[in-house]
Amino acid sequence: MIDVALASLIEDMIEKAGAEGVVEFWQRVGDNLAGRMGKEAYLGWTSFNVAVREARTAFSIEGEVTPLTDMAITDVDGDVVGYLYAMRQCCYVPTIFRTRFAVGRMSPADKAVTEEYNENVHNIAVCNFCVFHERFREEIAKNVTVSGNPLACFLLATRGWSGETKISSKNVVQVNINEDHVRALLRNYECVYALVLRGARLKGDR
Amino acid sequence: MPSDARMQDSNPFVEIATHLFLEDLAAKVGVAGLNNYLVSLAKNLAAAMPREEYASWSEFVGAVRDSQSILSTFEEVRPVTERCMSTLRSPFERGWREYAKRVGSFAPVHREVAEYYNHKVRPTAVTSVHIVLHTFREAAAARIRVGDDGVRYEPVAAAWVDGTVQLPEGPKLESLLKRAGITRTKLGMLLRNHSDVWLLEPA
Repeated sequence: MIDVALASLIEDMIEKAGAEGVVEFWQRVGDNLAGRMGKEAYLGWTSFNVAVREARTAFSIEGEVTPLTDMAITDVDGDVVGYLYAMRQCCYVPTIFRTRFAVGRMSPADKAVTEEYNENVHNIAVCNFCVFHERFREEIAKNVTVSGNPLACFLLATRGWSGETKISSKNVVQVNINEDHVRALLRNYECVYALVLRGARLKGDR
Repeated sequence: MPSDARMQDSNPFVEIATHLFLEDLAAKVGVAGLNNYLVSLAKNLAAAMPREEYASWSEFVGAVRDSQSILSTFEEVRPVTERCMSTLRSPFERGWREYAKRVGSFAPVHREVAEYYNHKVRPTAVTSVHIVLHTFREAAAARIRVGDDGVRYEPVAAAWVDGTVQLPEGPKLESLLKRAGITRTKLGMLLRNHSDVWLLEPA
């Protein structure tokens, strides 16, 4: 029930700190949780992707993550420096449905925080949880090394419970993935992100 | 969790994030401030849910048992007597297990705020989530009418996932047991297999 009650807490906090304050708060919570998860190291992409599939990585705390190993990301030399990853269900969707059947409707606080984030930080959120979630993944990625290199995370696309979709134009360009490919993925997945070796010379950097 | 097929389980990650949210909040507003936030969010949650009315006490207890009442929205409730309710599992158990597995041991502030609540309000909380649970049940019960009467909630005892039990001592406990219609031995039996024992009575 604490997940359903979270919206009430956010309502309270918006009254005290505004939606902007809640966004900052959520991001700090993402930093803190990532900081408590510890470091991980993998010999290469194969071992990392197996670990993701078997839910052994810090990313697995979110739920079932699918490594899309047919969608590799290459650097300017054509070497594989990352992959796309996707979740079939957004972490927050069960809570939205639970709220529907427990309370009746989602709190307007959810929308207020989502809009604040989209307008002023990154236009990718479909619910207030995206605010925390994006920062959490970015911080977690720094603590995971593949072949000795820490990772960087780019949130590419999201699909909300009512069907609305968001695609991050800047991140799609950054990892050099065709936007149509990402849009097609949203038919089966609700959250798509890329993990790449930090500092890799991506084609989108040029 | 009620066995209603529409009410799916939450993703434990949301619960973990909420616990971290509360920890960060406590760092800013202190234990007393966190207690106030927990009480407030539980009251707001109950206030957002529809009111209920029942013609008789037996109809009301049947609704609680069958997960049709506000009081059994988030947990499976088993009536022991007409007044005494028991909860098989804490609605926070999955989140706690996932937190322990993925993050580590619970931050001390969750126990500290429970101690504050036990001292200031009533001695029935083991961790922060019990403050939410007790306050929610109390506020939810106040939204129910049975015939011409309101409904009053009072916790008897709480047993946390790690086995820690919190209950009042002495005459207070004896009074609760008498009103609930159970013995001290029966309470011990219930706490072995259940997470919470509580009392509902006409207000």
